[in-house]
Amino acid sequence: MASSSSTASTEEASTSQPEKKEETKQKKEDDGEESDKESDEKMFECNICLDTAKDAVVSYCGHLFCWPCLYQWLETRPNRQSCPVCKAAISRDKCIPLYGRGGSGKDPRSKIPPRPPPTRTEQTDNGRFSWGSNEGNGGFHMSFGIGAFPFGFFASAFNFGAPGTAPAGANFMTPQQIEEQEFLSKVFIWVALIFIVWLMLA
Amino acid sequence: MANIATQRIKREFKEVVKSEEVARCAIRIDLVNDSWSELRGEIAGPPDTPYEGGVFALEILVPETYPFNPPKVRFLTKIWHPNISSVTGAICLDILKDQWAAAMTLRTVLLSLQALLAAAEPDDPQDAVVARQYKEYHNIFKTTAQHWTAIYAGGPNRIGEYETRVTRLVDMGVDELTARAVLSANNWDLERATETIFS
Ligand SMILES: [Zn+2]
Ligand SMILES: [Zn+2]
Repeated sequence: MASSSSTASTEEASTSQPEKKEETKQKKEDDGEESDKESDEKMFECNICLDTAKDAVVSYCGHLFCWPCLYQWLETRPNRQSCPVCKAAISRDKCIPLYGRGGSGKDPRSKIPPRPPPTRTEQTDNGRFSWGSNEGNGGFHMSFGIGAFPFGFFASAFNFGAPGTAPAGANFMTPQQIEEQEFLSKVFIWVALIFIVWLMLA
Repeated sequence: MANIATQRIKREFKEVVKSEEVARCAIRIDLVNDSWSELRGEIAGPPDTPYEGGVFALEILVPETYPFNPPKVRFLTKIWHPNISSVTGAICLDILKDQWAAAMTLRTVLLSLQALLAAAEPDDPQDAVVARQYKEYHNIFKTTAQHWTAIYAGGPNRIGEYETRVTRLVDMGVDELTARAVLSANNWDLERATETIFS
């Protein structure tokens, strides 16, 4: 490489010209420190964005990525998931989160960065919509509260059950969990509607 | 362009500029505009190939979704090669299609293209005519590729006999590029080339 050959030539020059020795040596040390620092930083660069890895994960084949970057790569090719560096088989469950000192300690994989989770807000809106039109009827508000409880319970139960998900990650959901949640909320809305109809008839 | 794409291209650009391949003039990258979405590449023809001594320019278009999808690359310099269209410069190379991986860079793409020049794959052709010549008349393929390298990429091995035939067709009113392409496709048989053009 270019750097090693230039070191050799500096050494040669310094033996033949002793008065310049100090100067060249100093220069050499500076160069060395700089490139050491540079290669240290490169060690921890994400193989996709080439920046220092954020929310770092490492694949079983040993390659380092930001979780957001790797997630997007896996989403781009859902049918042929392979390591972007060595093309070994790779998947969400086949990578290990890295926790440095001073990190949050949360499992980075519990975050799904490119996809904001809109399901949660949609749901509360739906709930408010159907109940808001029936102001003054306390019974509905109460039943909503009761109905919402098991749903919340389900969501967190699924979350804890997911392999490799740290408890701290319970605020985030995988697409599967979101789907389950959507299903449960639909069931809940139907139950609530039947309940309204029943109350009106009664 | 998406933020990650621009940021990565900037880093890669620096990487290429500092690389030892640039130092020995094997590859090169230049900016075309300020948006970093289009670049101009250059590769030197590998030694001991018909492309030796030539310099080939490439158009590199960086998609919004880079690096999750590959850059779009084609040859701007005309080249005679089974996996590169002699008409459009389109390239048939797996890493520019389904074998792309997000950790590949402009540098690795340019080096892969250089490797492609050194090792053609005639069974997976982009230009069927060139591929057939490569397999059936390999010596003619080699001299044709050399000749194209000399004419279009600044290579050293211009073949006088071939150019004489091109001039003959040009004298008949055929434009030079067409004349050269048709002669190449017809193994430099002047009669068959004339027939192809005028029939
Ligand atoms: Zn990254
Ligand atoms: Zn790997």
